[in-house]
Amino acid sequence: MRLPFSRWLPAWLFWTLILIAVTVGMILARGALDQAHVALIYLLVVLGASASGGRVVGVVLACAGFALIDYFFQRPFSTFAVGKSPDWIVLVAFLATATVATQLLSRANAEAEAARRRAEEIDRLSSLGAETLSVGRAEEALTAIAKVIRDTIGAAVCELHLRDQDRDLLVLAARVGEIAAPPGALMAWVFEHGRIAAERRDGSVYRAEDAPAGSMSPGPDVPPAVALLIPLVVHGRTVGVLRLAGREPIVLDAGERRFLAALAYYAALGAERVRLVSEAEHAEALREADHLKDALLASVSHDLRTPLTAIKALAHDIAGAGDERAAVIEQQADRLNRMVADLLELSRLNAGALPVRRELNAAEDLVGAAIQQLSGALSGREVRASIAWSEPVLVGDFDFVHSLRILVNLIENAHKYSPPDSPVDIEVGRDERMLRITVADRGPGIAPAERDLIFEPFYRSGGASAAPDGGTTTGAGLGLAIARRLAEAQGGTVTYEDRPGGGSRFTLVLPAAMLDGAEGEPAPEPARQPAGGMRADA
Amino acid sequence: MRDDTVLIIDDEPQIRRVVRTALQQEVSRVLEAGTGTQGIDIAAAERPALVVLDLGLPDLAGVDVCREIRKWSSAPIVVLSARHSDQEKALLLDTGADDYITKPFSTLEFTARIRANLRRAQAAQLAMQAQPMMIGDLLVDLTARTLKRGESSIHLTPIEWELLRTFVTQAGRTLTHQQLFNAVWGRAFGDPQQYLRVHVANLRRKIERDAVRPQLIVTEPGVGYRFEMPR
Repeated sequence: MRLPFSRWLPAWLFWTLILIAVTVGMILARGALDQAHVALIYLLVVLGASASGGRVVGVVLACAGFALIDYFFQRPFSTFAVGKSPDWIVLVAFLATATVATQLLSRANAEAEAARRRAEEIDRLSSLGAETLSVGRAEEALTAIAKVIRDTIGAAVCELHLRDQDRDLLVLAARVGEIAAPPGALMAWVFEHGRIAAERRDGSVYRAEDAPAGSMSPGPDVPPAVALLIPLVVHGRTVGVLRLAGREPIVLDAGERRFLAALAYYAALGAERVRLVSEAEHAEALREADHLKDALLASVSHDLRTPLTAIKALAHDIAGAGDERAAVIEQQADRLNRMVADLLELSRLNAGALPVRRELNAAEDLVGAAIQQLSGALSGREVRASIAWSEPVLVGDFDFVHSLRILVNLIENAHKYSPPDSPVDIEVGRDERMLRITVADRGPGIAPAERDLIFEPFYRSGGASAAPDGGTTTGAGLGLAIARRLAEAQGGTVTYEDRPGGGSRFTLVLPAAMLDGAEGEPAPEPARQPAGGMRADA
Repeated sequence: MRDDTVLIIDDEPQIRRVVRTALQQEVSRVLEAGTGTQGIDIAAAERPALVVLDLGLPDLAGVDVCREIRKWSSAPIVVLSARHSDQEKALLLDTGADDYITKPFSTLEFTARIRANLRRAQAAQLAMQAQPMMIGDLLVDLTARTLKRGESSIHLTPIEWELLRTFVTQAGRTLTHQQLFNAVWGRAFGDPQQYLRVHVANLRRKIERDAVRPQLIVTEPGVGYRFEMPR
């Protein structure tokens, strides 16, 4: 243990003076003293010196005592010659006892010191842990950590450089002390390799190239350095660099190296916390923005619907009085309403905020509801639904409202892009585990290059202009995108294929459900569907 | 013309005007209220035959207005809603509203629904309906449990009979899945609730002329079903 000059000098002076005083005193009383008394008194001095001044003082005083006994208190006096041989025994015994006692004492002292330091380290670490967690702002915790590291190691400066996520470079996140250094090439090396590096006073550089990457413990081969750079590693990922610097070279003993590694780990955790907090704040801000956007869309769609209702109703009245232009106004009001609803739906889908209620539903109920909802919009278009009436009701496990939306979009699409006199065919079937509801038209079909694009939001097919109604019913180009996403949200999908004989065929695939018959309901008798209306191909 | 006063509670003057115009030919008197509180007061004083209630009122939640009126009046309550979720609609219907119409609505549909609700309310006051009765081309006897179309009789399972009885006695009213389930199975919850839609599908196959274009049992997506009595 290396003690500072100011600490060992007083001990030396004090115990040398004591030695001189004791020697003088004993010389004056030499006649009354036996050799053994003298040796024991010197022994006391040596023990006192080594207890307070350390091993070196003890050993030096022991040797001095040895010489003094020999010179002043053994006949012949005032020479180093030893008269009788038993006197040697006293001298050797004194020297041996003093040396051994000094050794034992200093070892005990060193252990006590080590224990004290360990207790101090533990204190610091625990206060550091508490600080890392309790300080409100993560950046302040980093400064607190830097301060503890600097004070513990006795460096002039401690800096924490962290990686800036957005700009992908190291930035100074916390600093204690005066000398701030910009991140240089050495720091970049430390960050990149996750290994320790140091700069000696003469400017030469040490790199711990043999150390395992990500190791934050300085090895014994780290030289005394004016700047010591330690990577901050969490979960195998380097998040920043710790820089210690001083005007005097920093020299670390084994304990300090160990402690520094622990502190650096704390700093790394602190850095990670800064990152997580800022990420959480970022996510929070995004969520907030999304929430606002949703609230805005919801209120816009609400606020739009009320005037739309009035416009629609008034236009209806006027149309009833014979002005055909009013009918167009009513139609356009509906279109506007659909577009607002589409936008709202898409924004909810994108935010993952659309609740899905999967329940046992009948496929024919879905088809019926879609036809019913579109009854006004299809203006005389023939829609043929082919359902196997003699088979049990086909059921699926899906969200009725979302699936209705999909089917309505598909039927509208078919209506929009096929000649007015051609029928739209809806077929319901199931294979292994999926329900398949197909909507087929006799329109121009979709070019191979466009087959994926049509499911993208806002994509307008080149064929859109060919819509028979001149585009008055086209929406914002969201129908198919919403359809596919809604289907995927409930474990299904929407696919396209060419229809044999010309036209498009879209298939809505939804998870099927098995009826276990636990209800004890007999299968419905073959339905007698009257000839009118239904063309059951099954 | 019978005394069938209709009260419209809506804070939007334009909507009140639309509703009033649409209903002028249908009913004898249309009253208007701009707030929920005012609406409750007028409903208590005038005892309208039907209430049209907008959900976006500035002072009170629609559910509360509904509940308050239901305490002392059995007049049908038809709700107008713009952005409310299916769950909210179902909650309103469970709270005592009879029907709901989503904005923007067409005048034709609106008047048809108001008429159906008025008719049902008046029919309910005529005590038990005559048995057997004609529903379109169906001859139904709910007490004897016989169902005929022309000469051919149609067989219904016990659950389908219960469904049909519930629908017919509350024709014109939108019934939530929950209400139907309670009426047919007599329990609030349970697995068979899932099968309700399958039973409805089976019943449709038997009584509708075209089961994918149902005229009697109309689906209210996400909410329930409504039985429409043919005229």
